[in-house]
Amino acid sequence: MALPIFQINALEHQYAGRTVLEIEHLNIQPASIVGLVGPNGSGKSTLLKLLGLIEKPSKGEIQFNGSRVEPFSEQARFRITLLPQEPFLMKRNVFSNITYGLKLRGSGGSMQKKAHKALAMVGLEGDEFLRRPWYALSGGEAQRVALAARLALKPKVLLLDEPTASVDAGSAQLIKEAALRARQESGTTLVIASHDLQWLFEICDDVLHLFKGKIFGKGRETVIFGPWHELSAGQWGKVLPDAQLLRVPAPPHPDAPALIDLLSAGKEPCDGTDDISVLKGTVSRLSLEKKTGHVFATVLVGGHPFTLRLAPDQKDPQRIYPGDTIAVHYRTDQVTWI
Amino acid sequence: MLLSGNAETYSAIWATVLVSSYSIGCSLVMGIPLGFCLGYFNFRGKKPVRTVVDTLMALPTVFIGLLVYAFLTHRGPLGDFGLLFTLPGIAVGQTILALPIVIGLSATAVESMDKKLRLAIMSMGANRFQLFLTSLWEVRHGLLAGAIAAYGRVMTEVGISMMVGGNIKWHTRTITTAIALETNKGQFGMGVALGLVLLTIAFCVNASVSFLRRRY
Repeated sequence: MALPIFQINALEHQYAGRTVLEIEHLNIQPASIVGLVGPNGSGKSTLLKLLGLIEKPSKGEIQFNGSRVEPFSEQARFRITLLPQEPFLMKRNVFSNITYGLKLRGSGGSMQKKAHKALAMVGLEGDEFLRRPWYALSGGEAQRVALAARLALKPKVLLLDEPTASVDAGSAQLIKEAALRARQESGTTLVIASHDLQWLFEICDDVLHLFKGKIFGKGRETVIFGPWHELSAGQWGKVLPDAQLLRVPAPPHPDAPALIDLLSAGKEPCDGTDDISVLKGTVSRLSLEKKTGHVFATVLVGGHPFTLRLAPDQKDPQRIYPGDTIAVHYRTDQVTWI
Repeated sequence: MLLSGNAETYSAIWATVLVSSYSIGCSLVMGIPLGFCLGYFNFRGKKPVRTVVDTLMALPTVFIGLLVYAFLTHRGPLGDFGLLFTLPGIAVGQTILALPIVIGLSATAVESMDKKLRLAIMSMGANRFQLFLTSLWEVRHGLLAGAIAAYGRVMTEVGISMMVGGNIKWHTRTITTAIALETNKGQFGMGVALGLVLLTIAFCVNASVSFLRRRY
């Protein structure tokens, strides 16, 4: 296996004496796409700021290509870049914003050409936008210009913090495509924090689940966050946006994240029992895990992605296709609290 | 007065422009980095320092004149420099007058800087010095406002110019000390005319700054 581009050891970060992030060990491979998921305040943005060398961890170390790094480290500052959640442009025109990082690097060649190319990657016309001042852009345009300024640098690592949270659907799609193109064209490692779980599961090699500053799971697990409500004596659960009831055992606290292991799925729902719950959802995607031959079916239940793993020998028993409405089953008593 | 080419008037205008340029230049060179540090960093004792700076922004010019006179006089600790009754001597006093204004208003401009700016600059790969320079450029309008306020105070003060400069004709007489003299002589018309000259200089400086502000 290649040397990890990032290696985190015994990392702890605090704000005003309160620990907000604690990661014992984490490796990120070069040219991979890593997703960070978790509720607000789970430490996603803090982790990105630490990886982006914006802040220095309170304890522990971050290694980049095998060398320990911190803010302003010469061996990393031109190779890592972070796109924050809220678009922020300097008080200059679009051209100056895009070429700022290139000028810091003493980059040669035609700045005009590079700026045009970077803008084209995010779907903006150079002739129309390059001379525009920072205040004459919409929120979506500003976010795309901010991304273009980073793509122009051809970074080794691009960290994206909720890149599509505050933009419309069209801009979101362009941002997603541009980020993926950076990986294809320049082998850029992407670390993306997002609430768009479907997108992350589609594109990521690894998805890390964070909660209260800790990584508690990896991969395509079905994690549902609280708050949970006591529906009747001893009966806990939450009502999903499509009015279905998600039943769980009594949680340790009302906001605890639940790990749900799906038993099976089928076009015909089996009868629910006290222990087995049934939910209806729509298959949004089927994907193959090359290493194991497993097929993963992502089933959207009330907007939450549930992941069903089908072993190679039980693959596609009922010919499930994306768009099908199916029933998924899970054992209520086997829901794990994290 | 100007059109007739009155040499004495031109000498006072030249002395005013020269001495205020020296003092504003020195106070900007020293005050902007200090104001940046005061506004940007959090350190123990920041609040008391800020209170002192804010208080010094209202320093009376005659008090500064008195202190500088005491230091520059032949018996004073800096008497050997021979700066008393010279334009550089006035510039020293005016720098002391302008410095707290530049520091205080620069610190305010830096404090009002968007917190996301640091992240944006660092994420593009800037080193510490580039972070400092870019941050200053981003708050340029606030810094400019501080510089104009300081320049206005320096150009219109009388106390320091009178006490440290001595109002010596052809030598250390500035427009403000000339106005004071003409008023004492009962030459109110001349005083008003000199006041208008001062106002014209202030207008020219502000017009130039406004032009630069629109452009950048």
